[in-house]
Amino acid sequence: MPLDTSTYSLALLRLDGRRWNELRRIHAQISTQAAADGSSYLEMGNTKVICTVTGPAEGRRTAQGAGQECRVEVEISVAGFSGVERKRRGRADKRTQEMQHTLTTAFSSILFTHLYPHSTIILTLHVLSQDGSLLAACLNAATLALIDAGIPMSDYLCACTAGSTANEDTDEPLLDLNGLEEQELPFLTAGVLGDSDKVAVLMLETRVRVERVEGMLAVAVDGCKRVRGILDAVVRAHGRRMVEEGV
Amino acid sequence: MPFTILPPAPAIPFNHPHHYAASDNDSLSSADEMDIDTTTARPTKRARLSRSLVTPGETVTSDPQWMRGHGTYIPSDSTSIVSTVAGTVLKTNKLLSITPLRARYTPEIGDLVIGRIAEVQSRRWRVDISAPLLGALPLSAINLPGGILRKRTAVDELNMRAFFSEGDLLVAEVQSVFADGSASLHTRSLKYGKLRNGYFMAVSGLQFGYRARGGEVDVVLGVNGFIWIARHVEQAKDVAVTRLEESVSLSIYSSQNDEIGPQTRREIARVAGCIRALVEAGARVDEDMVVRAYEASLELDFETEGREDAGGEFLGGEKGKRIVEMALGSATS
Amino acid sequence: MPREAELSLNEREFILQALRENVRLDGRAFDDIRELQLSFGDEYGVADVRLGKTSHNPFPDRKFDGIFTISTEFSPMASPAFEVGRPTEAETLLSRLLEKAIRRSSALDTEGLCIIAGLKCFALRADVHVLDHDGGLVDAACIALVAALRHFRRPDVRVEGENVTVYSVREREPVPLSLLHHPLCVTFSYFNGGEVVLVDANLVEEQVREAEVVVTMNRHGEVCQVAKYGGLPIDALALLNCTNVALAKVQMLDKVIQQRLEEDAKRRDKGGLMAELNGDTLHKDDDRLDRTTDWLAWVSEWIEKAIGLTVGVVAQRYAVRCMGVSEGGTGRGKARARALEEGEGETVRAM
Repeated sequence: MPLDTSTYSLALLRLDGRRWNELRRIHAQISTQAAADGSSYLEMGNTKVICTVTGPAEGRRTAQGAGQECRVEVEISVAGFSGVERKRRGRADKRTQEMQHTLTTAFSSILFTHLYPHSTIILTLHVLSQDGSLLAACLNAATLALIDAGIPMSDYLCACTAGSTANEDTDEPLLDLNGLEEQELPFLTAGVLGDSDKVAVLMLETRVRVERVEGMLAVAVDGCKRVRGILDAVVRAHGRRMVEEGV
Repeated sequence: MPFTILPPAPAIPFNHPHHYAASDNDSLSSADEMDIDTTTARPTKRARLSRSLVTPGETVTSDPQWMRGHGTYIPSDSTSIVSTVAGTVLKTNKLLSITPLRARYTPEIGDLVIGRIAEVQSRRWRVDISAPLLGALPLSAINLPGGILRKRTAVDELNMRAFFSEGDLLVAEVQSVFADGSASLHTRSLKYGKLRNGYFMAVSGLQFGYRARGGEVDVVLGVNGFIWIARHVEQAKDVAVTRLEESVSLSIYSSQNDEIGPQTRREIARVAGCIRALVEAGARVDEDMVVRAYEASLELDFETEGREDAGGEFLGGEKGKRIVEMALGSATS
Repeated sequence: MPREAELSLNEREFILQALRENVRLDGRAFDDIRELQLSFGDEYGVADVRLGKTSHNPFPDRKFDGIFTISTEFSPMASPAFEVGRPTEAETLLSRLLEKAIRRSSALDTEGLCIIAGLKCFALRADVHVLDHDGGLVDAACIALVAALRHFRRPDVRVEGENVTVYSVREREPVPLSLLHHPLCVTFSYFNGGEVVLVDANLVEEQVREAEVVVTMNRHGEVCQVAKYGGLPIDALALLNCTNVALAKVQMLDKVIQQRLEEDAKRRDKGGLMAELNGDTLHKDDDRLDRTTDWLAWVSEWIEKAIGLTVGVVAQRYAVRCMGVSEGGTGRGKARARALEEGEGETVRAM
């Protein structure tokens, strides 16, 4: 089922009534789990992710290579009920492993890992519901949880997706794809560091003309900056509440 | 390519009791004497937000006269100081540091901490003090039973589990901090040592460590967020090191609890309930607040005595909220 | 678990300093790819790719598609850090990248592997074995895989209602796979805060790099896959530039593969088995000229001839046995010959 581009171009509205450059509703909370050092709950549209951070704490000791920096371990579990059809994804699922690896390497370079030698930071993510932009949601949730845990980082790592409508004459990028659009359109996930144009994570998994990548990336980078503003507001609201009540 | 990214459509407002709109003005400006240059990266945002609260990636100042402290860094391509955590700005002379809103405990010399023995190694214990790394308690840094002062022998080494074994709780002081941030502890005082006759709680990060006494109950608030609430034990006054053996009983490493009366147990539970209520409400937990909350709970019980809404001894829910309100009220008045 | 030996701090600093001074330790320019050696037959320059074939039942939800799986194996042969049977993270990522580059970009037309919709299909399995590891695993594996897929011929089939006859290679000329495009990977490595960009880093360079970007493209300018798993944040414009560089590299690589394939096809084209058996002297003379230049080709040809000869001998024996004059089997041979005459429908096959 291709995206109904005729209606799209007429009304300039997407399947869920958004415009091309409109984000889905992002709702986030931090400090949701009392037991963890840091935690967050994030919704991007109908994609819902919960993330907890444990550490930095003394982890499993490795014989060598522990080095002067702390390790980041990521575990993502995708709930069986999260998708359209109930499917149990094992721990050995390659897609999940790839996402874990992405989060590990992305945060290893953004966090100030040299401040905590020999220790380990464990990120645990639970995907409760998926409707597109899963990797982006995981990255955003992890950023919030790490901020909540008070672990120093150079800036927010915010992510979102951007697609491209596969119409021959018009080449319109779309921001923040939902599950249906993700199945039909070529899209990429970009994770951007703070307000800069620096891309920390970039994943493109569908075949697309090289000329289109530029538009998609530009939209995604701008979208990430917007996401940063939203996440920042969440952190600030929480911080202000803590400052006020604590004093 | 310039784009305008539309914000997501406004949805049903999230019904959080403490939800603040972004335009909430800074009620903290009075407490905030930041006079540093703030006209940097994001002027619009900075203008309307509370100035003392910073988030990661935010430029704190671009004035080169400031030195950067914890929670900040200087990007390689500029001279401005950028925050790395979400927290409040703290200035000490010319040193700028950010105190994170919440973070794992970082040991500092002199901190009163409560720990749990994680490992017994040769000549030292490894203690979980909820810091990034396990703390170390050397065999030489504890009091021997009976207060004997002597060099630790191989026999002591073999008997280490008789002093502390895995899972034991203890209160100690941070003696030194190693280069990697791990702490070395000591219990060479009568105030420190093995914990028994009580109840353990963990909250995240306290500002100060305290030992407090309320009636029949001793409360130890470790700086690392661990709390010990126990039956009060009469302690000898501080004694000179030379007379240590007279005051240090042989039973300091006992793992047996003493006889505790139901009334004491109830008091312990009351203190624990008060602390839990404070934590739930996100309020500060320190000596002052614990005492106030405790008093408030007594008062509340007195007021509602015999009434139907007394709510028993459980200090959660509505009752917990009342207690916190009363405690906060008495704190500000 | 054995680990990859880590570089010493001095070594690390030495390499980085060299890169800062625009020197690459193996003397290449920053955007140079190492020389590509590609040989067909059983061997490969960097990776050995074997393709097997079996007949399988297709997945019930994909009636019209054949089955195509890619499996990767790191053996301790390549590096002591690899262990058999325990997939490392690198191995998972490699197979995932290949999957995305080749399978998800639908380079192989899996519908072409279908024999009878919902009942019979070919299952194609590509085993990527890493024989030696000196960096650029993804690139090498992808080249090997694509080259192997282009080189591979599947046996021809004939469908008559429900009956499927799979012809052996000797009976009918095998058919090449239908590939829609040829995706190839190019890995970019970033050093020194993103200022130094290398194409096709070797192992030591991989160990000191700060970020990597794997771009998969085909020569038509389509991006099949881009993967930047974290690491140092790179400017968006610089990343876009990667795709342009990658396109040039991919076109170059594609040309090399094409050339090698053509050479291989020429080497194989000897007029088929019959010409071989008839002893076409003219052809042989041509071959002899080639032989002097390429001993490897000569050996493989020699083996092939030997096989051809064996086949001839077997066929002869069979014929003799059918006639019932061979050693010890007179009775059976006669019976068999009679059965054939009565027309039990068995086709006499040479092999």
